[in-house]
Amino acid sequence: MGAMEVDSENLLQRKQSLYQTSDELFEIQKEMYRGQQYSQIYFARLHLLRTLLYSLIPTWKPHLPVCTVLELEKGKECVVVGTIYKHMKLKPSVLDEYSKKRSATPLVKPHNFMHPDDQLVLEDESGRVKLRGTALLPSVYVTGIVVALHGKETDAGDFLVEDILDAGLPPQIELPLKSGEDKYVVFVSGLSVGSSSSNPLQFQLLVDHITGHLGDEKEQSIAAQIVQVVIAGNSVEVPHGLLNGQNLASKDQSRLSEPIKELDILLTQIAASIPLDIMPGHNDPSNFSLPQQPLHRCLFPGSSAYNTFRSCTNPHLFELDNVRFLGTSGQNIDDLEKYSEAKDKLEFMERTLKWRHLAPTAPNTLGCYPFTDRDPFFVESCPHVYFVGNQDNY
Amino acid sequence: MNGNARKRPAPPSVHQQQQKHHAAIEEEEMDEDVFLDETLLYEEESLVLRDMEERQALATRLSKWKRPSLSQAYQTQSQNIVFQKLEIDYVIGESHKELMPNSSGQAAIIRIFGVTREGHSVCCNVHGFEPYFYISCPPGMGPDDISRFHQILEGRMREVNRNSNVPKLVRRIELVQKRSIMYYQQQSSQPFLKIVVALPTMVTSCRGILDRGIQIDGLGMRNFMTYESNVLFALRFMIDCNIVGGNWIEVPAGKYKKTAKNLSYCQLEFACLYSELISHVPEGEFSKMAPFRILSFDIECAGRKGLFPEPTHDPVIQVANLVTLQGEDQPFVRNVMTLKSCSPIVGVDVMSFDTEREVLLAWRDFIREVDPDVIIGYNICKFDLPYLIQRAEVLRIAEFPILGRVRNSRVRVKDTTFSSRQYGTRESKEVTVEGRVQFDLLQVMQRDYKLSSYSLNSVSAHFLNEQKEDVHHSIISDLQNGNSETRRRLAVYCLKDAYLPQRLLDKLMFIYNYVEMARVTGVPISFLLSRGQSIKVLSQLLRKAKQKNLVIPNAKQAGSEQGTYEGATVLEASAGFYEKPIATLDFASLYPSIMMAYNLCYCTLVTPEDVRKLNLPPECVNKTPSGETFVKSNLQKGILPEILEELLAARKRAKADLKEAKDPLVKAVLDGRQLALKISANSVYGFTGATVGQLPCLEISSSVTSYGRQMIEHTKKLVEEKFTMLGGYEHNAEVIYGDTDSVMVLFGVPTVEAAMNLGREAADYISGTFMKPIKLEFEKVYYPYLLISKKRYAGLLWTNPEKYDKMDTKGIETVRRDNCLLVKNLVNECLHKILIDRDIPGAVQYVKNTISDLLMNRMDLSLLVITKGLTKTGDDYEVKAAHVELAERMRKRDAATAPNVGDRVPYVIIKAAKGAKAYEKSEDPIYVLENSIPIDPQYYLENQISKPLLRIFEPILKNATLISNSDRTLCSHCRGREAELYCKTVANVSELEKLFGRLWTQCQECQGSLHQDVLCTSRDCPIFYRRKKAQKDMAEAKLQLDRWNF
Repeated sequence: MGAMEVDSENLLQRKQSLYQTSDELFEIQKEMYRGQQYSQIYFARLHLLRTLLYSLIPTWKPHLPVCTVLELEKGKECVVVGTIYKHMKLKPSVLDEYSKKRSATPLVKPHNFMHPDDQLVLEDESGRVKLRGTALLPSVYVTGIVVALHGKETDAGDFLVEDILDAGLPPQIELPLKSGEDKYVVFVSGLSVGSSSSNPLQFQLLVDHITGHLGDEKEQSIAAQIVQVVIAGNSVEVPHGLLNGQNLASKDQSRLSEPIKELDILLTQIAASIPLDIMPGHNDPSNFSLPQQPLHRCLFPGSSAYNTFRSCTNPHLFELDNVRFLGTSGQNIDDLEKYSEAKDKLEFMERTLKWRHLAPTAPNTLGCYPFTDRDPFFVESCPHVYFVGNQDNY
Repeated sequence: MNGNARKRPAPPSVHQQQQKHHAAIEEEEMDEDVFLDETLLYEEESLVLRDMEERQALATRLSKWKRPSLSQAYQTQSQNIVFQKLEIDYVIGESHKELMPNSSGQAAIIRIFGVTREGHSVCCNVHGFEPYFYISCPPGMGPDDISRFHQILEGRMREVNRNSNVPKLVRRIELVQKRSIMYYQQQSSQPFLKIVVALPTMVTSCRGILDRGIQIDGLGMRNFMTYESNVLFALRFMIDCNIVGGNWIEVPAGKYKKTAKNLSYCQLEFACLYSELISHVPEGEFSKMAPFRILSFDIECAGRKGLFPEPTHDPVIQVANLVTLQGEDQPFVRNVMTLKSCSPIVGVDVMSFDTEREVLLAWRDFIREVDPDVIIGYNICKFDLPYLIQRAEVLRIAEFPILGRVRNSRVRVKDTTFSSRQYGTRESKEVTVEGRVQFDLLQVMQRDYKLSSYSLNSVSAHFLNEQKEDVHHSIISDLQNGNSETRRRLAVYCLKDAYLPQRLLDKLMFIYNYVEMARVTGVPISFLLSRGQSIKVLSQLLRKAKQKNLVIPNAKQAGSEQGTYEGATVLEASAGFYEKPIATLDFASLYPSIMMAYNLCYCTLVTPEDVRKLNLPPECVNKTPSGETFVKSNLQKGILPEILEELLAARKRAKADLKEAKDPLVKAVLDGRQLALKISANSVYGFTGATVGQLPCLEISSSVTSYGRQMIEHTKKLVEEKFTMLGGYEHNAEVIYGDTDSVMVLFGVPTVEAAMNLGREAADYISGTFMKPIKLEFEKVYYPYLLISKKRYAGLLWTNPEKYDKMDTKGIETVRRDNCLLVKNLVNECLHKILIDRDIPGAVQYVKNTISDLLMNRMDLSLLVITKGLTKTGDDYEVKAAHVELAERMRKRDAATAPNVGDRVPYVIIKAAKGAKAYEKSEDPIYVLENSIPIDPQYYLENQISKPLLRIFEPILKNATLISNSDRTLCSHCRGREAELYCKTVANVSELEKLFGRLWTQCQECQGSLHQDVLCTSRDCPIFYRRKKAQKDMAEAKLQLDRWNF
């Protein structure tokens, strides 16, 4: 506390910026489970993206006719738009639980289900057709993407692909002119309070750094330029074994609530000094399927008292001084990694933008709410900052 | 023989009297004469005028699937015709004037249908083969007596066959030297009379006359024992011409005559004499299959709400067809015929029509144009084909049922009674499509596999590992009444159903296996499905007997003193959980070996009377443990042992060839053959023991089992005498259990390897004490081994010392269908824990957890569903049954979706007032889910899981009982634990979301479409209820979570 007094003469003022959230896109309020199925979200997605692709085709392949899967004719070159379905041999199925024999050893490593025999299929409302050809690599594409394909139907009834058109990068709202001053946003993820690997000291250091309690003046002046902290998922780790519906012994009760309390204390410190967005992640006490809904305030009795504390959805979309931020806690990219291949995680991220879809594998392999009239994961305009939490490295 | 369902054609009225006589006989197969009727021939041509233009369009559409056209050599008849035989029947027609200038009038013409190597269809009319049978010639009958006898018989026959316009009913009577197959006889032959009659049915009527007795001058009233009078005409022909089912037949150029007018739709139709046929042994080139055409089809009918479709009311709305050439893996024709418009489907020819009449006629034209050799489908014989034909009758489309290969012949529908001990008697239809083999996959499945359910869905789940989408028949009408898109949806479904039988056929190699079975046993392919087991053995027996100049009596009781006999032995099981390796010693094909070793046969059996009279030296006879006497092979070699030897030798050869073979198609043939040979060898014993069979002889079958018993006991004795500590072994061996043909030995050694060595030693040692070819083999070790009781055990099976092969269980409730899935899962998991993980406390804990889940109503409902078939309506059941009562209640709720007779009714047992009867507590699972009705855990505990679990745990734990722990009350809500409680609620939601996602995406996968709603209501699918429950729970959990938004 003594140090504070010394510094009080050249007081550093924390910069501020204008915050605006667009999370209502990902909120599920009125929507209920009324027996709807997943077909509607695919339909909505196909509709959205097809309109978009149709507007691009005249410049991409002006000379070619556009048709639906049904209208394909043998040998006729054309462009067809539809949803990709990837037929995967190794894809785990809920039916496996019922198969007669339990195999002693799992055949594949659980982090990737690719197989050389995987096959792509293109589907629209009218039907399905198998895709062939070297232009299209099954290892790159996943179920749920909408693309335009140029090719022709072969004698075997397959579609030989010659060229592919993704929806492409969405238009970007022009970046507001630089005001000349630097402002920083801190992204944190995978704090995992309560897990064996989390180190309370590191976290405390981080908090102190952000709040300006650490380092010399130079460092503190940088800290003062931080205008926003975003916690992108997996903040706590609750022992899942405890949540099987059984009543808990009092010892277990504390094992469950202790990490959350600890997190709350630390978050209170941050929220006291700086706006804080917290997104739920895969391990957090939130729902499972995307979009994940904000963590409940009752989990954070301390920090939620501050109006700087905002519990957000995952994916999270917001603007700071008109700079657009969009990101997830990582599930979309993790799932892509299980079902397709790329040289690094960044490439996966790039692809999601090009496909104009945050989470194409939802609902097929990634849990997702069965929307009826919209597909919130459609990327309407390109964010200025696109972030994904809980990855191996930066 | 094994209680299989058998069909018996309704007897023609002529034989009424006869029928009474043989009322007790089940397996009577009779010929039925079909008269060739040429008047209809040109009638249909006039019908062609129907809407010429439309037909033209259709015709061009269909014509591209025609068979390849005939080459020049075929057209000029300068080429030998070689074809694979598929179907055989006979008709009565005028005898051929050119081929048989000396005879006239009506005669039986054999028709063989087949396919050439090039894929041409063949109809071969064989002339000159006459029906006949034998009787033993009374002693002292001379040539004059025979001609007098002939006249008397002719007279009597006239009385019975008044309407016949055949000039001579009994063609000839010849004196031949033959011997009866029954009993050992010292003289090599006796005089027999061969009676040749004009038409096949006359064999039966003539037999009736001779059975009842006939007055002969000088001899008085005599009744005669007939021989080989129960052989079907087509089979008789095949035996005499050495033709087996599915083999290649050659007719040399110049020996056949093209028929004057083509009476069939076959490309090659000709007549020849039966003596000109060359039958090729199925080896080398002739073991291959011709490229025959297999049609797989399925129909959809628009039923009325609440009723199963009936041809009198409900229209046929779609027919899906797939045609595949044998040996190719993709169908070359896929089409669907729909009533009303239907949106196109990729890769499928969709043909839409405005009236049902056009749909049916288009299908008939399609059949005629594509000309399939084999027609397959699922339940086509009982449902699809009779439905189409009856529907055409209702619609008065007289020209529809010409689906066979014979131009003027309508498809005949016969009412047949389907009776068996298991299913009781049921009326059903039998459809005869001339020249085409019907192969109903449902019948095959029921015959060849023991499954818990035979719905197409569960069969394809079992064999293809795929769930089939199931559209409830009440939805079908809605889809049909929608627009062309909904009809397209239905067509896609229909096509899938048509494709599944084809895929099952390919996957399970049915074509290869059945053709090989026909070749091995020598019966036509269609007999294999439509007739009993014994005809296969009878066919082999007849063939062999013919070579040996023996004749087979048509006696329903061949041996004496009929009745039951003692079956196989089962050594007392010392129940327990064995944690030391148990070696299993098996007799390789025990019963066939015994028959061969001891020369057991009809013709080696010595009657008790002859034993006394003949004074046979003891070294020439075997006295069986059951007290019968058989001569050894030096006096008379038995026919059955000879058949068995040939079958087993052929199997050895087929297996050796299989190893050498490279071509996958050749391999498939050889594998099918060795399988057929094995099954045939094993069925010979059963043939002798079938009291309602063709030629039962219990002296043989009881001798076989008595030898079997003796050998098992002998083995036990030897093992326990030799492998003792006194004999220099580490432990005393103990036989803990013995079944029909295997003995389980506890050698006491701790390792699998040591047990294997001792097992091999014991097998070799004991084999040496048996007569050849009886052989004891050592194959496997069980370690650990859980022996519950007789015929109930489980263990890990080892065939090599390094790693166990699998978990093997017998007689333990894992597949019984009146158990819920929970029992199966629980039993499997416990066995897994006990045997593989060797974790008995873990297994106990698992059971405890499951029971606790059950009591707290946390159990997945689909695990608790019990399914039973509804075979008749409620009134017909004497006792109230849970599923019947439920069906009644459901009908009151909503007649449209209530189960009908023939459906399977799934139900769960719910909590009800105290003292309610079990049948009152049954409820529809969907209804339970929708209304959140609690289930009755006590019922499941006591009536479902307790018994099987106790059975498993009894040998392991002493005093095993299931103690039910009571439900703990939830503590009241306390403020300080908000976070924790929230976590729990949200974790619940999250689990459910996970499940919801996985289940519904799986259903999309099965359905094969992302953009359309899942319609499937297959109650056989394991995830159906879970899916429904997830949806329901999800909504509820969401509501609960929303309560937190204060």
